[in-house]
Amino acid sequence: MAKFLLLAFRNIFRNRRRTLMTLLMVGGGVTGLLLAGGYFAFMTHGLREDTIRNGLGHLQIFTAEHFRRDEIRVLDTGIENWRQVAATVRTAPHVHGVAPRIEFYGMVSNGQKSSIFMGSAVDPDAERSLGFSTFLTAGKDLDGDQGSDVEALIGAGLAKSMNVKVGDGLTLFAVTSDGALNGVDVQIAGIVESGVAELDARYLRITLPSAQRLLQSDRITNLVVGLDDTANTDAVYNELIPRLSGLPQRMTVKKWIDLATYYKQVHNLFNGIFLFMGVIVFFMVLMSSVNTLLMAMFERTREIGTMLAMGTPRAWIILLLMAEATLLGVLGAAGGLAAGNLLGVLLNASGLHLPPPPGYTVSVPFRVLHVPAMMVSSSILVIVSLALASILPAVRASRLQIVEALAHV
Amino acid sequence: MDDLVSVEAVSRRFPLDHSEVRALDDASLSVERGEFLAIAGPSGSGKSTLLNLMGCIDKPTSGRIVLDGEDTSKLSPARLSAFRREKIGFVFQTFNLIPVFTARENVEFPLLVQGVSADERRHRAMDALESVGIAARAQHRPDLLSGGERQRVAVARAIVHRPALVLADEPTANLDTHNATQLIDLMRELNLTLGLTFIFSTHDQRLLEHTPRIIRLCDGQVVEDMQHAEVVHG
Ligand SMILES: Nc1ncnc2c1ncn2[C@@H]1O[C@H](COP(=O)(O)OP(=O)(O)OP(=O)(O)O)[C@@H](O)[C@H]1O
Ligand SMILES: [Mg+2]
Repeated sequence: MAKFLLLAFRNIFRNRRRTLMTLLMVGGGVTGLLLAGGYFAFMTHGLREDTIRNGLGHLQIFTAEHFRRDEIRVLDTGIENWRQVAATVRTAPHVHGVAPRIEFYGMVSNGQKSSIFMGSAVDPDAERSLGFSTFLTAGKDLDGDQGSDVEALIGAGLAKSMNVKVGDGLTLFAVTSDGALNGVDVQIAGIVESGVAELDARYLRITLPSAQRLLQSDRITNLVVGLDDTANTDAVYNELIPRLSGLPQRMTVKKWIDLATYYKQVHNLFNGIFLFMGVIVFFMVLMSSVNTLLMAMFERTREIGTMLAMGTPRAWIILLLMAEATLLGVLGAAGGLAAGNLLGVLLNASGLHLPPPPGYTVSVPFRVLHVPAMMVSSSILVIVSLALASILPAVRASRLQIVEALAHV
Repeated sequence: MDDLVSVEAVSRRFPLDHSEVRALDDASLSVERGEFLAIAGPSGSGKSTLLNLMGCIDKPTSGRIVLDGEDTSKLSPARLSAFRREKIGFVFQTFNLIPVFTARENVEFPLLVQGVSADERRHRAMDALESVGIAARAQHRPDLLSGGERQRVAVARAIVHRPALVLADEPTANLDTHNATQLIDLMRELNLTLGLTFIFSTHDQRLLEHTPRIIRLCDGQVVEDMQHAEVVHG
């Protein structure tokens, strides 16, 4: 049988031109999938790391209560003894840093006009040590140690509607945890722009101590945990659950993927496109090779008739033709993998940049990632496609009338 | 009952437009083990049809063919395939060697489908090539061989599994006179030395001189069954 299947191997090289055409198509399909998929992977990977680095972190810790009900009073579902929680988190491996945050609301006034703001209170040093970036368009980032002065970063839209610039003063009003109204004067240290207009029209950032003074609370909303590597997210998550269960307050840990809605949408979109391309390649290979394989079988009618006359089981003929097609698929996939990876390396080395997409000002680098799962799936795709394409020709060959096949010229 | 082949009132008709062609018309004959038999007749007389039926690659419209004690009309397609594999060797007019196999691999083929081990296949294939005088060409692919050499390889392939019956439909039609005579002589020699039964067809009278028995067909009917006594006894 092995010897018989050696026929398959040799038959592949019979009609070199046709074999080459099939290999080019199969290999081209794999190469195309690898490059497109590799680019998508690069984009999603970049977006993932950006999303995490822009302040999402790898894990976020809230009280369990936070997701169970709305706050009745400010921070009443917040973390009480956050330094203890942070210390517990830091004992887990791979934890690079922990940053406390408070999310709050209030009114901001310039004396003549007031507006609602969405506040975020941070520990600037902790944020910086985690590599979280602020997108300053003017001024400077918050100082970690401000003494009695209160600095703020505000969104570009909010700065515009309040008609203020860096160095100007504003007054913030908020309801304290006791239900009283409190106010604090802040000086604008910098203007930030996230790129999302709705957010920039409301955004305001102050330090954690300032917010705690304003809200009259020593609680925080959540802790943001940064890890050494995104790949460790699940492992650390599993580490943290038992460690946090010993604390007086019940905690909930969220992974970045559960909080990154935009990332998830983009990821799903790219997955969808990749899948669609896969389907196209699959049917392209299927359609064109059914034809090619039928032609190859037709040309060998007399030979197949001879084999059948000599008592070769019909199943062997099916097996032979399917083995030939599958082998073609394997060779094509191998060629496609080699070409795709080589092209990927060359493209990455060339430092090619794509023109800026709409809404962006900087051009994006064109890079492709080498994703093993994609190499495996696209190879399987074309091999299966060719194997399926060979069923019809193979079955037809096995059903040839021997006498007619022998008379075939 | 000791006949190897028994063709009993066999007809083979092909539908043609609104009528039918009687390619073989109520033909009967029997062949004994070890015979060397030629089927002669003009073009369209039914030679190929008869050989196809005896080779179990076609079915009679009526009548029956008993081969080596087996009523072939009663065999299922799979059994027929196995029957051919074991009992019959074919030599074709157009050689029909597998182009991607060497001469030796081609000769091994019938053993391959019988499931014979690689060592034994090789051994027996070389023996067969030896017996047709072409062992030196064992490693060549068919496209490097001359017509005469190819047909010798085909003969080796037809006898390598020691079939009960070797069928050759116009084996010399694509050979020049010299090679044609040599091929028939070779088959006769194998018939005498190995005791194999050969049936071949031809419409070339010159090839029939050394043939001990000749059956003539005309319009699908056996019109003559001639034994050369002097040839039979050598
Ligand atoms: N498949 C077929 N369909 C229709 N008619 C056929 C078929 N096969 C053979 N015939 C007819 O049957 C008759 C006998 O054909 P056959 O091929 O057996 O003759 P032959 O003696 O081998 O001729 P040749 O010397 O030309 O090879 C011819 O008239 C031929 O046209
Ligand atoms: Mg004929």
